Amino acid sequence: YAQTPKQRAPRVEDKTAPTVLMAEDISGRPEREIVLQRDAEVIKDKTKVKSDTACFRQVENEVQAEGDVKIWRFGDYFTGDELKLNLDSGQGYMLNPTYKLEANHAQGKAERINFINEDEAQVVNGTYSTCQSVTPDWYLRSDTLNLDSGRDVGTASKTLIYFKDVPILGTPALSFSLSGARRSGWLSPTPGFGSKNGPELVVPYYFNIAPNRDLTLYPKLIGNRGLQVGALARYMGETDGGLYRGETYVEVMPRDRAYAEANPDKKSDRWMVRSNHTQDITPDWAYSWNVRAASDDNYPNDFSKTVANSTERQLLRELRTDYHGDIWTLTARVQKYQVLQDPDSTTPVPRPYDRLPAVNFHAAQYDVAGGFDWAFDSELTRFYHPTLINGTRLVAIPQVSYPIIGPSYFITPKVMVNAATYSLDAYNTQSSENMSRAIPTFSLDSGLVFERDVTWRGKQMTQTLEPRLFYVYTPYRDQSRFPTFDTDAASFNFSQIFSENRFVGSDRIGDANQLTAALTSRFLDANGAEMLRLAFGQRFYFRDQQVQLDSSTPVVDSRSDILLAATGRISDTWTFDSAVQYNQADKSVVSQSYSAQWVPGAKKVLNLSYRYLRDSFKNVELSSQWPIFDRWYGVGRINYSMLTKKILESLVGLEYNADCWVFRTGAQRFVTTSTKQSTQIFFQLELNGLSHLGVGSPLEAMKSTIPGYQRLNDGYGR
Amino acid sequence: CGFHLRGDGGHYTLPFPTMYVGLPESSPLAIDLKRNIRANGGTTVVGSARDADGVIEVLSNPEKTKTKTILALDNNGRVRQYLLSYSIVFRVLDKQGKELLGPTNIALSRPIDFSDSQLLAKEQEEALLYKDMQTDLVQQMMRRIAAIKTAGVSLPPPPADKQPSAQKPASVPPAVPAQ
Repeated sequence: YAQTPKQRAPRVEDKTAPTVLMAEDISGRPEREIVLQRDAEVIKDKTKVKSDTACFRQVENEVQAEGDVKIWRFGDYFTGDELKLNLDSGQGYMLNPTYKLEANHAQGKAERINFINEDEAQVVNGTYSTCQSVTPDWYLRSDTLNLDSGRDVGTASKTLIYFKDVPILGTPALSFSLSGARRSGWLSPTPGFGSKNGPELVVPYYFNIAPNRDLTLYPKLIGNRGLQVGALARYMGETDGGLYRGETYVEVMPRDRAYAEANPDKKSDRWMVRSNHTQDITPDWAYSWNVRAASDDNYPNDFSKTVANSTERQLLRELRTDYHGDIWTLTARVQKYQVLQDPDSTTPVPRPYDRLPAVNFHAAQYDVAGGFDWAFDSELTRFYHPTLINGTRLVAIPQVSYPIIGPSYFITPKVMVNAATYSLDAYNTQSSENMSRAIPTFSLDSGLVFERDVTWRGKQMTQTLEPRLFYVYTPYRDQSRFPTFDTDAASFNFSQIFSENRFVGSDRIGDANQLTAALTSRFLDANGAEMLRLAFGQRFYFRDQQVQLDSSTPVVDSRSDILLAATGRISDTWTFDSAVQYNQADKSVVSQSYSAQWVPGAKKVLNLSYRYLRDSFKNVELSSQWPIFDRWYGVGRINYSMLTKKILESLVGLEYNADCWVFRTGAQRFVTTSTKQSTQIFFQLELNGLSHLGVGSPLEAMKSTIPGYQRLNDGYGR
Repeated sequence: CGFHLRGDGGHYTLPFPTMYVGLPESSPLAIDLKRNIRANGGTTVVGSARDADGVIEVLSNPEKTKTKTILALDNNGRVRQYLLSYSIVFRVLDKQGKELLGPTNIALSRPIDFSDSQLLAKEQEEALLYKDMQTDLVQQMMRRIAAIKTAGVSLPPPPADKQPSAQKPASVPPAVPAQ
């Protein structure tokens, strides 16, 4: 959104341009009236009239033409039986006309067209279509239709929309953009059917308030429930302080019939809200909010259109502000969560700690006092939870490093201290207490870069070989008495093996005497673009890992799992990505993922992936957009769990792309809980240049779940 | 096997005496990028596009295009893995506004395992992964920018200066730790 309108040459006529008259036979009274017989032609600047006969009144500067009249005005083209046109004012009329507009290639025919001025024409009892053919697939017919090229708007009174000569929709009034630009109006009505909601119909209305703000309303009739109204407001702009932007979506359904029946004791008004906003108050100071809320636990089950929504059960409400100094940043935020329990699931959704508030201070400087880098991070947080221990934690992490960097090597020794003090509230039988700890860490990061020129698939390339060693020493400190507010074991991956702490969060600092070894090789083309990356990594432990989250049994491995990764764009049409985590001790794969994308042409994409994580999931996913034949395109996606032999998500769709319209139909189905699925069927007819697509349309499901999906009628809609 | 240590004047020398980075001052990406440009030694970062020999124009700011999509669901329909994506579209112009490097898209992504019992920790892990992608992105951008001069030239670059390389700033670390 927030696009600038299309630039259009202004329809300014050169009023002083001469009027040229031509015909096989010219007669009349000089200075008064000139009669043109056979192949008459009147040209003045951007206007040209051709007809069998014509009469030109010089005083009024007016043409009256009859018989096979053709007129060209600023790229627009009209034909008809009779024309009267004032060349000064642009006023006039035409009988039994047909027209073709330059903008959007729109066409139509009518009983009469009244020319109101150079820009505006009123079509009486006529049709309008953006189809190119003589017999358009769709058109609208209305009593009066005002086409204003100057304001780029078509407005119609009582209108019927015909598709294949069958009236499909009637409306008392209609307005649309002539050039296809965004403007207020109805968007495609989308009927559908949902397994939980019965038949559905949404008819969105779009308000183009200003280039930088808009509002879309989604009135939706849900068969089993009632009327739901959604509203999406989007905006962006600039104040003296800087930029701001945001969007808010609200969905309200007063008195949900199905819910009231099933839960007579509960309120039957259903709603949800999603809002975010960021704003710069000054160039250094900004604030933002991010708020999500819903009326009840069942909301995601009952109203979600996508898995992304149905899985969202820990709803964050956050207000934050950031201040940037020259070398420091101060962030303060308040975070609360609303948890929507899944009534159909046996495992409860856990509630995270609220941060009321959290204040972070970060300062850093590079290359001071002869090459030192330093950083200081501090965080003061009040953790609140209704059922767990509450407390306030202050953490301070000073660190100093001395990077020694050459073109082909780097060595970075670093020392840091993680100091924390806790003030814990009374909890159960425990009385309130204070505790603190400070844990130093030393690390040494080092690497080399080798290069060589290679020829790969006939191309000159540079191959790099980058060995890297990362040593960490952190002494053991017993931390078993400290609560875990925000801390958990980090997942094991390439960015984690190069961080000092094996936990994320400040409640646990892992004791370490360990070395990480990694080897990366890249293939770079002549433009410096990375074509292929191969990587290997492993960590070696010289001491047992005593610090654990809740157990007191140390982990005694002498080496970690092996990480392997290969990723690249091996040709113009193929990309792939793969990663493996392998345990040498029990010779087994802990996690692995392989994915490939093939894009052999426009609107042709095939994605295939396999993902496995031990004791968690083993899924295969296939998705594609593919031309089937002629103007038919298929889209499809399937996500299959090999553990339970169950389809987790599926989508099939069919799209037909005509010159001036697109038809889509599809069905999607996804799991909402272990036992339940949600199924939806949708239909959509999009008439190019008349109805635009909005957010939340079936197209969104295709776009968001099929990587590489391309719209068929690009350029229309938003 | 043909590998040699990367030398001075290699693929990392930026072909601009002065550069301008078209990102807000406080953007972490801008700070990282400017630091890497300065670390090359030969290039000064200037505060205005008019004074710069090379202008990095960011057409799509990655800080605003961060996305998080679901990668894997478990059998209960709960998310177990997300994909974090981070991508930039940028181009490089000269003082006259002529395009030296056309719109270039660099897209990065990292999977992150997820469990709803670890939400707060995962929030911090996400930040760590975005930082890691930012470091990776800066390295890839530097290579693209450095290749502006050498693109289309198949001959090896001129021999490296034999001066003892200054300890700092001489070049950019091949990979900077994520923290």
